[in-house]
Amino acid sequence: MALPHRPTALQNVLKFIRRKPLGAIGFLIIGFMVLMTVGTPQLKFGIPSLPDRPLGVELGKPWIARYDAEAKFFTAENRLSQYEGPSASHWLGTEKAGRDIWARLVYGARRSLFIGIWALAVATFVGTAIGVVSGYFRGWVDTAVQRVMDALQSFPPLVALILIITINPLTSSPNLTVAAFALGLVGIPSVQRITRGVVLATREQQYVEAARVIGATDLRTMVYYILPNITASIIVVFSTGLGVVILAEAALAFVIPQNVPQGPSWGLMLNEGRGAMFDHSGPTVWSATFIALAVLGFNLAGDALRDVLDPRLRL
Amino acid sequence: MQQYILRRTLLNFVVLFLVATMVFLALRVDPSNIIRERAQGCTTAETYDACREIAKAELGLDKPLWRQYGTYMADLAQLDLGKSFFTKNAVLQDIKDRAGPSIELGLLQIMVALVVALPIGIISAIRQDTWLDYLLRFVSIALLGIPVFVLAIFVMLGTTKYAGGTFLPEWLSVHGTWVNLFPGQTPGNDHNVIENLKRVTGPALVGGLGTGAIIMRFLRSQMLEVLRQDYVRTAWAKGLRERVVVVRHALKNALIPVLTVIGLLLGSIVSGNVVLEYLYTIPGIGFFIISSILQFDYPVVQGTVLVVAVTLVFVNLLVDIAYGWLDPRIRYS
Repeated sequence: MALPHRPTALQNVLKFIRRKPLGAIGFLIIGFMVLMTVGTPQLKFGIPSLPDRPLGVELGKPWIARYDAEAKFFTAENRLSQYEGPSASHWLGTEKAGRDIWARLVYGARRSLFIGIWALAVATFVGTAIGVVSGYFRGWVDTAVQRVMDALQSFPPLVALILIITINPLTSSPNLTVAAFALGLVGIPSVQRITRGVVLATREQQYVEAARVIGATDLRTMVYYILPNITASIIVVFSTGLGVVILAEAALAFVIPQNVPQGPSWGLMLNEGRGAMFDHSGPTVWSATFIALAVLGFNLAGDALRDVLDPRLRL
Repeated sequence: MQQYILRRTLLNFVVLFLVATMVFLALRVDPSNIIRERAQGCTTAETYDACREIAKAELGLDKPLWRQYGTYMADLAQLDLGKSFFTKNAVLQDIKDRAGPSIELGLLQIMVALVVALPIGIISAIRQDTWLDYLLRFVSIALLGIPVFVLAIFVMLGTTKYAGGTFLPEWLSVHGTWVNLFPGQTPGNDHNVIENLKRVTGPALVGGLGTGAIIMRFLRSQMLEVLRQDYVRTAWAKGLRERVVVVRHALKNALIPVLTVIGLLLGSIVSGNVVLEYLYTIPGIGFFIISSILQFDYPVVQGTVLVVAVTLVFVNLLVDIAYGWLDPRIRYS
C-alpha cells in the first residue's frame, strides 16, 4: 500500500514562500542581518557579555566587513577623509570621523541583534513564567499579578527604559548587558499578558483536565501539559518582539546618546549624522534605512509565523 | 454596571499606589548623582563631604527612607506633587503648562491617523484579496515597521532637499524659534492654539501615519468579521446600495471596537510621545519626563510619571465604559 507523499523540508519552504511572500521577504531580511553579524568564530568561553561575546563565544571580525568599525581613514594629503562618497574601498562612504560607514553598520547590526535576542530571552522567560502561573491559578494570584503588570504598563515604555538606564546602580558606565536587561524588563508585561490569555484558554482543554484527574501536581501540569501546548504562541511572541526591541534600542540610542554604551550602533549613528544631515546625508540615510529594514523584516516574518503557527493569537 | 465602575476605580487606585511606590523606590536606589551635582556648586562649607551633607539635607535625602516615603505619600494624598529640585516650581503647574502642546500634538496625530486609516481600512476589507488589498496591506505593514524617528528624518531631509523654497520645509521641519510660542518656556507668552497647531503639523503627520497603520489593520479585520454577519447579508438581499451596506450596516458596527483602540492610543500618545517631542523640540509631557530623568530631578519625575499613569488607567476605564455603552451586548460583571 502506498503511503501518502510526505512533503520534504524543501517543499515545505517553497510552500511557505508561495503562501506567504511577504513573510519570505521578512525572513530574507533577517537572514541578511544574521549574515552581517557572523564572523570568524574564536571559541572562548567566559563571562557572558555583549555584543562581541554573546554567551562567551568570541565572534571575531565579521567577514563581510573589510575594516574595523573604529578604524579612521585619511586622504592623500593626510587629512581625515570625512564624508567621502561611495567608492570601491568604502562601499557606502565615510562619516564625520573618517570611519567606514559599511563597517560601522555591520558592527551595529551585531549590537542590535544580540541586544534584541538577550532582551527577548529575559522578557520571554520571565513573562512566560509569570503568565503561566497567573493564568493557571486565576483567583487572587492572578488579580495581584495583573495589578503589578498594570502598574508596570502605566509607564510609557521609552520612559521606563530611560529611567532604568539612568538610575542603573550596577555599573559606573553605560553597559550593553544592562541595556539588554532593561529592554527585557520593560517587555515582561506584554509577554505576560499574551501568555496569560493563551493559558486561560488552554487550561480548559480536556487533556489538562485529564492530567488533573490522574493526579498530576500543579507544577507538573503547568510544565508538561500546558507549556508544550503554548510553544507556538511563545515563538510568535519572540519573533514579533525582536523587531520591537531592536526599534526600542535604536530609539534609546537616538534620544539619550550620552547615556547608552558607545560604539558602533545604528541609533547612535543616526543621532551623530543628524547634525550635518542636510549637507552630508550619507550616515543618516544609511543608518535610518537599516533600522527600518530590520524592524520591517522582523514584523513581516512575525506576521507570517503567526498566521502559520497560531492564527488566533491576538497581539 | 455601577458596581463594576466602582470596583475598577478602586483597583485603579491600587495600581496608582504601586506606580507611585515603584518610581519612588527606583529613584532612591542610587541618589549619589543628584547629591554630587548639587554639592559641586557649594561654597558655604570647607570640605566636599560637608557640601554633600548640606545638599542632602536641602533635597530631603538625609532622612531615612521610610520617613521620605511617608512624607511623599502624605503629600500625594493632598494632591501635592512637590517642587522641582532645580526650578523650585510646583510640579503640578509645570505639568499643566506642558500638557497643552502634548494634547494638541496627540489630537492632531490621531486625526491624521483616522484620515489615513478609515478609507484604507474599508477599501482593503471590501476588496479583500485583490491586488489593491495586498498593496494597501503592504503599505500599512511598511508604515508599522518604519520607526517614527526614521520617517521624520526622511521627511525633513526630503522636503528640505527637494522642495526647498516651497511651504513644505517650513511646515514639516523643526522650527528654530517656535519653542517660545508654548507657555512655560518664556513667561508671559500667550498660548496661541492656532499657531501651535501649525507647529505640530510635521510631527503629527509623521506620527499619524504609524498610528494610522495600527488602526487600519484593526479596522480591516473588524470589517472582515462584520461583513460576514447575517444582517449584512440581509442588507444586501434587500437590494441596498453598496455604499449604504458598507457604511451604515457594516462600518457602524465594525467601528465600535476600533473606537476603543483609538481611545487607548490617544491616551498613550498624549502621555508618551517621547521621540517625536524630542525630535521636534516640542515642550510636552514626554520631553519633560526625559529631561527631568536626565537631570535627576526626583519630584518632577515622580509627579509626571504619576500624572501619566493616572491619565492612562482612567482613559482605559473610560474606554471600557464607553465600549459597554456603545455595544449593549457587552455585559460587565
